[in-house]
Amino acid sequence: MISRRVFTSLLGAAAMLPTVGFAADMPAPFDNAGDVKIALVRYLSTGDFFQAYLSGVEKQAEAIGVDLRVFDSRQDAALQADMVDQAIALGVDGIIIQHGLTESMQAAAQRAVDAGIKVVAFDVNVENDAIPQVEQSDRDLARLALEAAVEDNGTEWVAGYVYVPGIAPLDRRDETWVEVKAANPGINEVAMFGTLDNPIANSVANQARAVLSANPNITVMFAPYDEFAKGVKIAVDEAGMTDQVSIYSADVSTADIAAMREPGSAWKATAATNPAVVGEVSVRTLAMLLAGEDPGHNVIVPPTLITQSMLNELDISNMEELGAKLPAFAHADVAVPEWMPLPAR
Amino acid sequence: MSEPAIRLSGVRKSFGKNQVLRGIDMQIPPGQVTVLMGANGAGKSTLVKVLCGVHRADGGTVMLGETPFAPETPSEALRSGVVTVHQNINDGVVPDLDVTSNLLLDTLASGGSTFLKRRDMRARAREIAAAVGLEIDVTLPVAGLTLADRQLVSIARAMAHNPELLILDEPTSSLSAAETKRLFEMVERLRDRGVAILYISHRMSDIRRLADRILSMRDGQIVQHFEDKPLDYEGAVRAMLGHEISEVDIRIPDAGKPVLELSDLVLREGAAPFSIDAHENEVIAVAGLVGSGKSAFAAALFGLTRPVSGRMKLDGRPHQPRASSDAVAAGVYMCPKDRLVNAVVPDFDISRNITLPFTRRHSRPGGFLSFRSERATANRMVGDMGVICQGVGDGILTLSGGNQQKVMVARWMAEASRVLILDEPFQGVDIQARRDIGRKIRETANTRTTIVFVAELDEALEVADRILVMSEHSIVGDHRNDNIDVSAIMAEVVDAGAAPRAAGI
Amino acid sequence: MQKSSTLLDLAIKYGFLALMAGLIIFFGITAEGFLSPFSAVFILQSVAITGILALGVTATLVVDGFDLSIGAVATSALMLSAYVMVVWEMSAFWAVALSLAMGAAVGAVNGMMIVKFKVPDLLATLGMMFLLLGAQRIPTEGRSVSTGMALPDGTIANGTFSDTFLMLGRYRIADLVPLSVVFLIAAAILIWAFLELTRHGRLMYAIGSNAQAASLAGTNVNRYKILAYMISGTMASLGGILLSARLGRGDVASGNNLLLDAVAAALIGFAVLGAGKPNAFGTAIGALFVGILLQGLTMLNAPYYTQDFIKGAVLVVALVFTFALSGRTGRAKA
Repeated sequence: MISRRVFTSLLGAAAMLPTVGFAADMPAPFDNAGDVKIALVRYLSTGDFFQAYLSGVEKQAEAIGVDLRVFDSRQDAALQADMVDQAIALGVDGIIIQHGLTESMQAAAQRAVDAGIKVVAFDVNVENDAIPQVEQSDRDLARLALEAAVEDNGTEWVAGYVYVPGIAPLDRRDETWVEVKAANPGINEVAMFGTLDNPIANSVANQARAVLSANPNITVMFAPYDEFAKGVKIAVDEAGMTDQVSIYSADVSTADIAAMREPGSAWKATAATNPAVVGEVSVRTLAMLLAGEDPGHNVIVPPTLITQSMLNELDISNMEELGAKLPAFAHADVAVPEWMPLPAR
Repeated sequence: MSEPAIRLSGVRKSFGKNQVLRGIDMQIPPGQVTVLMGANGAGKSTLVKVLCGVHRADGGTVMLGETPFAPETPSEALRSGVVTVHQNINDGVVPDLDVTSNLLLDTLASGGSTFLKRRDMRARAREIAAAVGLEIDVTLPVAGLTLADRQLVSIARAMAHNPELLILDEPTSSLSAAETKRLFEMVERLRDRGVAILYISHRMSDIRRLADRILSMRDGQIVQHFEDKPLDYEGAVRAMLGHEISEVDIRIPDAGKPVLELSDLVLREGAAPFSIDAHENEVIAVAGLVGSGKSAFAAALFGLTRPVSGRMKLDGRPHQPRASSDAVAAGVYMCPKDRLVNAVVPDFDISRNITLPFTRRHSRPGGFLSFRSERATANRMVGDMGVICQGVGDGILTLSGGNQQKVMVARWMAEASRVLILDEPFQGVDIQARRDIGRKIRETANTRTTIVFVAELDEALEVADRILVMSEHSIVGDHRNDNIDVSAIMAEVVDAGAAPRAAGI
Repeated sequence: MQKSSTLLDLAIKYGFLALMAGLIIFFGITAEGFLSPFSAVFILQSVAITGILALGVTATLVVDGFDLSIGAVATSALMLSAYVMVVWEMSAFWAVALSLAMGAAVGAVNGMMIVKFKVPDLLATLGMMFLLLGAQRIPTEGRSVSTGMALPDGTIANGTFSDTFLMLGRYRIADLVPLSVVFLIAAAILIWAFLELTRHGRLMYAIGSNAQAASLAGTNVNRYKILAYMISGTMASLGGILLSARLGRGDVASGNNLLLDAVAAALIGFAVLGAGKPNAFGTAIGALFVGILLQGLTMLNAPYYTQDFIKGAVLVVALVFTFALSGRTGRAKA
């Protein structure tokens, strides 16, 4: 296999030639952006996060002016691989693979690369040097949330932890939790629970009720996924322990903002990457590849810490306002070359 | 008579306490059509199932030629040379496959090479069809064939085994006249080749056409056989329906006013119209062979089907029930035949089985049931009918067949009716229960008219004031049960065309 | 014949209740705080929603039917009630009324498909399940419903969950017993009384045991079957309303877990008191049994996957109780 450096420099050299002498705002092939077709091949699509991600992809694609096709496999790994082949057959110039399983996507991604198509992967490792990985940094998410927990509560507390092993982003967040616990021996984890039975918040609430009655001395709940946090908050409220327990989580949605801003809410902070921004970054990374530029192998979208007090001070009540009033959340300065048009805000 | 192809002696079979075959002795000679006649429940199907390997006999011997024959599975029976064509045609063919595959099904099922050579298969299938004189395109799917062709395919397939004995179980029950003719030609061709044929049928026209010998079966035994030409068809029917001098003394009361008036009723297209009045305090028995239209008659009265034409009046007003609930509301009740299928609610106890149709009678406002009222009714009916049980809370399935049937009759006697229809109420019931039920029917008859559909003539003679004979979906005879001429009834049962049409009284 | 097997009879009749008592004692000893009144209320609350769904599905099981659409009906009611309040900005009354009406209508359509168009019950309700899973996402393009959400046409939804509505999921009588538990108990008593004490319930049992016999006894079998599916749909939508009130937003969810848990509770109910058939009391006990197990296991820090395992094991044991030990084939199919 060609090493990445050789490959990208070759690409770069090839791409340099036509750009020279053109006065257009954007480099080729975006001087005729309407002729550029890109495809988004999705594994996960239901839920607010994925809806927001899609809207980010759509906005950035519109800003550049490329033709976007969306393929949705609805958690069918085999179908997702077939969809990559469909996109290849369709003659697209670039593909964004959004989630999926390494096992099923690796070969499909390689076929696309072999067909001369530029590929970007979001939150799925396709083990391919030619394919940049767009990631929201789960480790950073967990780190930001836990830093807030330590800042609020010191380094000695009794913790409950919500975790379902085997889910890649949760596993990465768990690594940080393990590190933080090791660094702070005063943190005493007395219960670990979690389930993905849906509605997840309802099932987690049932479990959290049991955990709280078994361990009434818990003061911090680390629930590094907003559905978990929502469930824990319901249980804390029902158990009448709102004043005693603080919840720290990851991810955010309009409904989460409302829950965090309830008077006296136990949900103190959440660390989040704006999924719409991740969607925009995915498209920009692909556009850089198509223009022959090197976005780097790992394109990381940094998270933002959102605290209850921030939301109250800025009077933020939904995602749109969050984006407007918290600039760090609305835009990530990632994969933004000079020529890149950004979506209107 | 030549050596019999198959010889049965003392064959017995019971299911639980129910003795179905009580020592069958019979012989079936080759090259002849032996017709087996018997009323519902006589044990014909059980006998067929013993011969084709579905059931094992409890006792007795079966000799196939010189060797004992006791097949454990249908395929073993088939290999030994006994092939059976069942009543339900689709049991004999696979509708989704083509004729070729159907004809070769047994070969396919018993192994052979995994991969199929189409051309060889078709050639072999054509041979099999030709051997029985069946002219058919073997590439057609069976689902597209007429019933008769399916039947012939299933017989042709059976014949590919060169059987010694061919059993045909009511093969014409769903065939048209022309189709029946083709079947008969095939049966005759097989007979001429020396195959022993056991032919089970109720249709007298079939029997007249084909029979070389007739065996009459009754209560699990062969009661009589007929070989001398011309065959005594009436005698055969009499032996099958049975007629012993009844121990029950029927005193016919004066009939009251007419309750049910039927005029020019036609039960199916092409059947002769008939008119009948049924009176209060009158018990009418309707006799006839299977398929004579008894079920259609009962269904029309109870609102399950609409008659083709004609008028029904109940107490002078039109009676046009659209569903069983209409009939029940009008006071026309029916105790259906085949109680386990049509009547018994297996999860319920005796009490709940009895009150099933009349829960409203035992309800307080809001639909809440009064268990006390239910129990009172159930206790009364159980006492009246002489149901043998520990209490009305016993599960219905803990009772014997006769007691179950008493409960089913009690269900409909618990409330006053205008017309009480009992469809084969003595089916699968021991003699004592039969007498009890019959007595109870007569005791309570004075407030209503009662119509009992019977399988055997004895039953009619035991219970009825008046006996109607059905044939070809019409009433062909109407007799007062008083010094009755049994042979005249037999003649009507057997031969519809010869009997004068009932003139509606 | 009866006397020789009294011990077995006792085991069949009271085995499951004894098992439950044993379980309570076990958790009482091993899990601190399990035997508090709070814990009892938690358990009831955690089973309230699946219990209500299970009571509905019991009605369809009684007529020898099955309703696979209850999970989807519940999540549809969850979305609908949220949509009514947040997007249409209508009151709690309308959120509840429209959701219940939707559940009853879905049940009626299920019933019509089954009795009029002769679609087998599993297939008809499976089709309905997929239909609803899609339909509930169309108005919001797959997003959850919450105050401040952006609608497909770009406007922002400004309605809120009314406090009255949230009380359904959050208010607690005497600061202890949540309203959802009251609903569960009321539903259990209502369904039990309907099935066991009224003639309508009696006729539905007759239909389930032998539909042909019930029909020939003058029962309008089709009408009762449709009624059973309407009860099931209405109960499922009630469950969805309580879910909505507890979550405080219209969550996108498939409801498959609700369906499976509810069916498990109803099937476990077959074994309670040796009934051997669907019954409301057994269903309620079945739901409670699962709730106790899960509460106790969670308090003992058992990982989440053991819970499915235990649920499955309980179901298998209950079915063996029902079908093998009591020596009956369950339902007679004509």
